[in-house]
Amino acid sequence: MMKDEIQREFGEAVATAEQVGQELRVRVAPGALAGLARFCRDRGCHYPADITAVDAAGELRVVYRLAAPETGQQVVISVPVPRAGGRLPSLCGIYPGAEWPEREVHDLFGVRFDGHPDLRRILLTDDWEGHPLLK
Amino acid sequence: MTASLTPTEHVILNMGPQHPSTHGVLRLELQLEGEVIVGCRPVIGYLHRGIEKIGEARTYQQFLPYTDRLDYLSSASNNLAFVQATEKLMGVQVPPRAQFLRVVLLELNRIASHLVFFATFANDLAATTAFLYGFRERELIMDLFEMWVGARLTQSSIRIGGVAQDVPAGFAEKAREFCRLLPSRLDEYDRLLTGNRIFRARTEGVGLLPPEEGIGYGCSGPTLRGSGVAFDLRRADPYEVYDRLDFAVVTQAACDCMGRYLVRMGEMRESARIIEQCLDQLPDGEVMAKVGRTIRPPAGEAYGRVESPRGEFGCYLVSDGGPHPARVHLRAPSFFHLCALPRMVQGWKVGDVVAILGSIDIVLGEVDR
Repeated sequence: MMKDEIQREFGEAVATAEQVGQELRVRVAPGALAGLARFCRDRGCHYPADITAVDAAGELRVVYRLAAPETGQQVVISVPVPRAGGRLPSLCGIYPGAEWPEREVHDLFGVRFDGHPDLRRILLTDDWEGHPLLK
Repeated sequence: MTASLTPTEHVILNMGPQHPSTHGVLRLELQLEGEVIVGCRPVIGYLHRGIEKIGEARTYQQFLPYTDRLDYLSSASNNLAFVQATEKLMGVQVPPRAQFLRVVLLELNRIASHLVFFATFANDLAATTAFLYGFRERELIMDLFEMWVGARLTQSSIRIGGVAQDVPAGFAEKAREFCRLLPSRLDEYDRLLTGNRIFRARTEGVGLLPPEEGIGYGCSGPTLRGSGVAFDLRRADPYEVYDRLDFAVVTQAACDCMGRYLVRMGEMRESARIIEQCLDQLPDGEVMAKVGRTIRPPAGEAYGRVESPRGEFGCYLVSDGGPHPARVHLRAPSFFHLCALPRMVQGWKVGDVVAILGSIDIVLGEVDR
């Protein structure tokens, strides 16, 4: 069971892990993100369905949705970050499709992604000030 | 590469944001070495309307018509992704008649969207006649939508709990007539375009997308199925009544523009078969579940996932228990496909960019939101 494997492998870095329908929802600390993404990809989640962020319930978290194309199964990884100065490792080296969604999270929420090849705004104009989707 | 005594530089050529072949307001910064593309930087956001932010200040019913305007060539699939996420949070059971009607609407949208693809793809490659033919057939679908829902394009008919309107008398007959007519028209398109030497020269072997790369870029839909990957949400993660219907997932192994084109042409035929099955099996009953007038999904999150004509169209919804969504994020297949475009046009020429961009069939409404 993927859930048990993840909890065994990442121990305390995993705050919660629960299966909700087709989704294995995991909350991890930023330091475990890159390792967990690689772990999932090596177990068949080759498809970066989505990367976005949510500012709700008093916290900002970046949400990664990794999936295996043949099945409906998804691993949904939430990583809390501070609203100002939040930084996470870029997953571009693991999923080339991370390039644009990470730029969007940077543009609308202000999170920085270390190692991103081209981190700049994508939807808003280059001279826009602020990050509108923060509450 | 001819040796030259003259020093040369790469030329930056802007394609767009106003350009007949960019399928909307898109700018491609092409870096050329002579005629060959050595770099491509897409610039998007020209159609950004802040729809996700707007969603945080609207009720769930008020937000629905905004979804029509994302992938505006297939409004029903956008509606469904949002409605599906909301229904998951609320635990709503959609009545069977409504589920079959939703599939009819979704598949008519698929054919209409693929007809626009056929018409505009051909037009981009200067096969103007095919453009007129594609839109001729699509008008028949617009008539069906107008007859059923009251709108040609932005339907907002898939609502939380079911569909807003039942089909009127005479609709099933007209829809069947269309499904009977379509295959012969598609045969006509094949005679007109598919085997044409010029069309083949511009699409075969052009714009290769290897399957593992496509998956790694988050590609889906015909863009990925044209590389032989049989990933279709209607089979991988079935919704509505797709698990009861007989249809083929169309794939092509060639990984090129022609492959992606052939997938969409094949899908139109499958969609007509799906519609006929739904009309045959359509049960009696309600078209709308009992859902209160105030929609306040319990706190939590859900993801609605639909196989739109472009691929995986998703709606990630977070509720705080209040009347407005706390967060509504739209996962657009075209966004991911455009991210892969620079990789696909590398080494080709400017004329090939038109074919490759056309073959991934993007809609800027869903890219920019």
